[in-house]
Parts: sequence; C-alpha cells; structure tokens
Amino acid sequence: MIRTIIIDDESLARDLIKAYLQKFDDIEVVQECADGFQGLKAIQEHKPDLIFLDVQMPKISGFEMLELLEEPPVIIFSTAFDQYAIKAFEQNATDYLLKPYAEQRFDEAVEKAKAKASSKSGSKNEVEKLQETRADSDESLDRIVVKTGNKIQILPLESISHFEAQDDYVAIHSDQGKYLKLMRMKHLESRLPDGEFVRIHRSHIVNVKQIEKLELYEKDSYLLSLKTGIQLPVSRSGHGKLKEVLKY
Amino acid sequence: MNHPFIRNRNIIIYTTIWLVISAGFAWALYYWYEFEPRLAILDSAVFNGIFFGLGLSYWFNVRYSSFDKSQLLNLVISHVAALLISIALAVFLSQTILSRIPSNEEYTQFLNLSLPWRAGLGLMYYSIIILVYYLILYYDDLNKKTQERSQLETMLKSSELEMLKSQINPHFIFNSLNSIASLTIISPEKAREMVIKLSDFLRYSLGKENDQMNTVNDELNNIILYLDIEKVRFGDRLAVETQVDKNCLGLKLPNLILQPIFENAIKHGIYESLEQVTIKLNAWQDQNILRIEVTNQFDPEAVSKKGKGIGLKNVSERLRLIYGVSQLVFTEKTDNLFTVRLDIPQIETNV
Repeated sequence: MIRTIIIDDESLARDLIKAYLQKFDDIEVVQECADGFQGLKAIQEHKPDLIFLDVQMPKISGFEMLELLEEPPVIIFSTAFDQYAIKAFEQNATDYLLKPYAEQRFDEAVEKAKAKASSKSGSKNEVEKLQETRADSDESLDRIVVKTGNKIQILPLESISHFEAQDDYVAIHSDQGKYLKLMRMKHLESRLPDGEFVRIHRSHIVNVKQIEKLELYEKDSYLLSLKTGIQLPVSRSGHGKLKEVLKY
Repeated sequence: MNHPFIRNRNIIIYTTIWLVISAGFAWALYYWYEFEPRLAILDSAVFNGIFFGLGLSYWFNVRYSSFDKSQLLNLVISHVAALLISIALAVFLSQTILSRIPSNEEYTQFLNLSLPWRAGLGLMYYSIIILVYYLILYYDDLNKKTQERSQLETMLKSSELEMLKSQINPHFIFNSLNSIASLTIISPEKAREMVIKLSDFLRYSLGKENDQMNTVNDELNNIILYLDIEKVRFGDRLAVETQVDKNCLGLKLPNLILQPIFENAIKHGIYESLEQVTIKLNAWQDQNILRIEVTNQFDPEAVSKKGKGIGLKNVSERLRLIYGVSQLVFTEKTDNLFTVRLDIPQIETNV
C-alpha cells in the first residue's frame, strides 16, 4: 500500500486529485492539508510514501516546506506555477503536474511515483537538486523558513545579521536567535538578493545593513564588525565584493 | 538662458536682417537727403548698430517678464521703461558719436532735426523685435507642449501594455480551470455555472478598449464576477461585502482600474491565510469625485512575501496619466486591515 498526503490550499484541487486516485487500489490518502505547516506536521506524523504538493500556499510555500523535511517522500507537484519553475522541475526526477491537467497525464505521474516509492531511491538527493535548480532560477529569497524541534520559524531577511557555514549546515544568526539549516553556502549566496548580502569569506555571508565597521587587521587582511558586536574575518575576494557593494 | 537669436546660428540671420536694414537706411540718407556715401553709411552703421546690440538684450525683458509670470501692469511698466531707456540711449549715443565726425553744416543741422524720427524708428524697432520674441516664446511653448503630449501618449501606451499583462493573472485562470475540472466530477451543475461566470468575466475584460471609460455599474458587476469565481476556488475563506451608493452607479471610471486592487486584496488576504477573510467594497460620490474604497483583512502573523508593489503603482500611474493629478490612490494599513481608496474625478479626461 502506498500512503499519500495531498497538500493544496484549494479544496476543489484536492478533490480532483482524490477523484483521480480512486481507481488506484494500492494508493491510500491518509490526510489532506491546506498549507505547508499542516503538511509538515502530517508528513512527520504519517511518514507517507508519496505527497501531492502545491507551491503557492498560505504561511509557508511548498518549496519552503520541502526544505524542512529530513526524509522527504516521493513528490508530485501539482501547481499552476510559472514557466521557469517548470523547467526547474524538468531537470530533476520529481514529477510535476501543471494545473489543469489531464487524467492521463496524472496517471503517468502516479505510475512513475509508484515505481520510485517502491525502490525508495534517495529522495534527499532530489530535494537538494531542487534547491540547486531553484538557485539557478532568478527568483530571489525574501525570507528563510527554519525548524527547531517541532517549531517552525519564518525569518525575514531583514532580521538576519549573518550566515555562517558549519559543515553541511548553515548557521543563521537572526535577531530571533541562531538557527541551523541544511543547505550549501553556494546555493544560499546565489539566491540572496544582490547588494543586500555579501559573502565576505568562505564561511561567512553578512547582511550589508548590519555592517558597523571594517578595519585593517594585518597586511591585506580585514576584520568586519557587525552591529551585533560580532567580528568576522574578511577574505581577499570578500574584500573586493564589499568594495563593490559599499562603493568606497 | 538659450537666446533665440543666438542659438542654432540664428545670429547669422539676425545680422543679415540688420545689414539689410542698415543698407536701406544708408541708401535713404544718400538718395533723399543727398549726403555723401561716407556720411550716410557711418550714420546708418552707428544708429542701427546700437539697435543691433539693444535688440539682443530685449530678450531678457521678454523672457523674464512673460505673460504668465508677472502682472499685466508690471509687464507694461517694464516694457515702457525698456523702450524709453533704449531710445534715450540710442539717440544720445548716436548723437554723441556722429557729431564728432568731421562733416558739413547741413549734416549737423540734419542731426538735430532727426531726433524725433530717430525716436520713432527706435519705437518701431523695439515693437517689432519684442513681437518676434513673443512669437518665438509662444512657438517654443507650443512645441514643448506637443512634445510632452506625445511623451504622455507613449507612456500611456506602455503602461496600458503593462496593465494588460498584469490585469488578468494567469494563475487565476489556470487555477479556475482546475477548479472547473474538479467540479465536473463532483458537481457538474456548479462547473457549468463557473464556466459561464469565467466566460463572462473574460469577455468583459478582454473585449474592452484600453482607454475606455466605463460606468461604475459595469465595472462593479465584473469585479463581482471575479470575486464569485474566486469564491468557488477558496470557498468559505473568502467573504465579500459591498456597499455602493445607488447614485454613483452611473459615474465613470477607467476600464478595469479596480482589477489589480482586488487581485492584491486576494493575494495578500486569501493566499496568506486559512481563516475567513472579508473583502469590503465601498463606493460613494463626494461632490464631483467618485470615491472607491477596498478593504481586506490580512493575517498579521504571516511574514508575507514582499509584493513588488507593481499592481498599485500601475493603478496610480494610470490615473495620473488620465487625470493629470498625481495623488489619486491612498492606502492605509492597520493591524490586520489594508485599505486602498481611489479618488476618480468626474471630469473631462486626457483620453
């Protein structure tokens, strides 16, 4: 039996998926959710094999919800999302359905998902790929969603003073506290809005508005002080980027 | 200041005209008064040369006391003063210079006698030059206005294009079609109803000329259609309250100007919340202004994705181009309410 959860804020859209799923005897809908918060909770509770996921939803989007999952199930996107996003999905193994879709197209997606669910091939990899393709898209971040225990926190970019690389994780220093999130500095850097954040070092990205001062430390090496009082080293290339953004 | 006789080599034309006048003047002295050519040319050169210079300076009097900038009395005073000063100066200077030229008795006598008609000629020169300046000023002004007007038209066109693009959100259409697909299974009757509503909405929205003015009645009916369709999508999450004064139903407003405002209300109200969100619409007439107010609730806890603010900016820009007034859109944000008010003047418009 394949256990599935449908996550979409429009009930008619969920109804359609349920109706299309009726002929599949081996698929069971264990829960329906109307936003990313509920979705996340349901996924942790039921550990489904498959989810149908809309992108545009209240509170947190489908993408943001995925980023918080440690062991994501097989995902089928069901969305009216824009063209570039479709391209992003096409490049990785996650299937997508573009609303409105034909039943035949839906069936194909389900068959693919079933094959994948039974093989249980590393979905984690996929989410990472998804992040990567999102990094390629021109959409820039305006908030970051993090999870500590069972609490989900939405951090507006303005509240973040700097990011720090910690192995596979990135530590996010915001005025609400410090949070860890599984992601790569490279992808993060490319998705932050230009001119507002600068990667000053291999392990540090700072919010330009939070910079207090920049001092020469030794020959060719600078030390950056943030308004929060924290001091960070600046690499040579980081100094170049700072110069460009701060225009001095 | 860009002097009209100096810019674009106009100084050549100006000089040429003065040379012609001076030649005529000298010829008259030679032909009618029978002075020797040397005297005739010198007299002409000095007298007309002075006005050549004065003529250029008259511009500043015209430029810095043009009709709209000063009172009529001031204008007359400044011109009379300029006229008197320039005639006195010209006559005095030419008399002083010319009387030093070694000449005969006859010429000296002529010099004294010529005072009144020299003054008369000065008055004529002054009037003609001033007239030319005013004509140029008027022509320049006209040119500038035409230019501004055509610029306005191009801006209007491009903003209309932008408006068209943003007017009907493709997500709205595709999501609505998806809802219809779903309804065909669950409730074919409702699906039929929604297809008809969506068609009516699209027919109205796509079928209008962009610069058209429509009645409040027509525009509101279309908005209600739009909200009805969204209600099918979002069910109980969307509630709508309208309060429209009957006497403003016949007033005019630009085609589809309300659409982006309601799309915003849906986007920031409904998209970000699972609770019921009420959108209120009020319309009333205030003297010759039609006021339309749209209020939506929003979830204050939602860390909303920043909108680009294009929707409201477009509305504001469009109204500015149509009515020539920059501030016709007002917004207000409280804890959980967002209000937009449009003031639509009921007057002749640019389009």
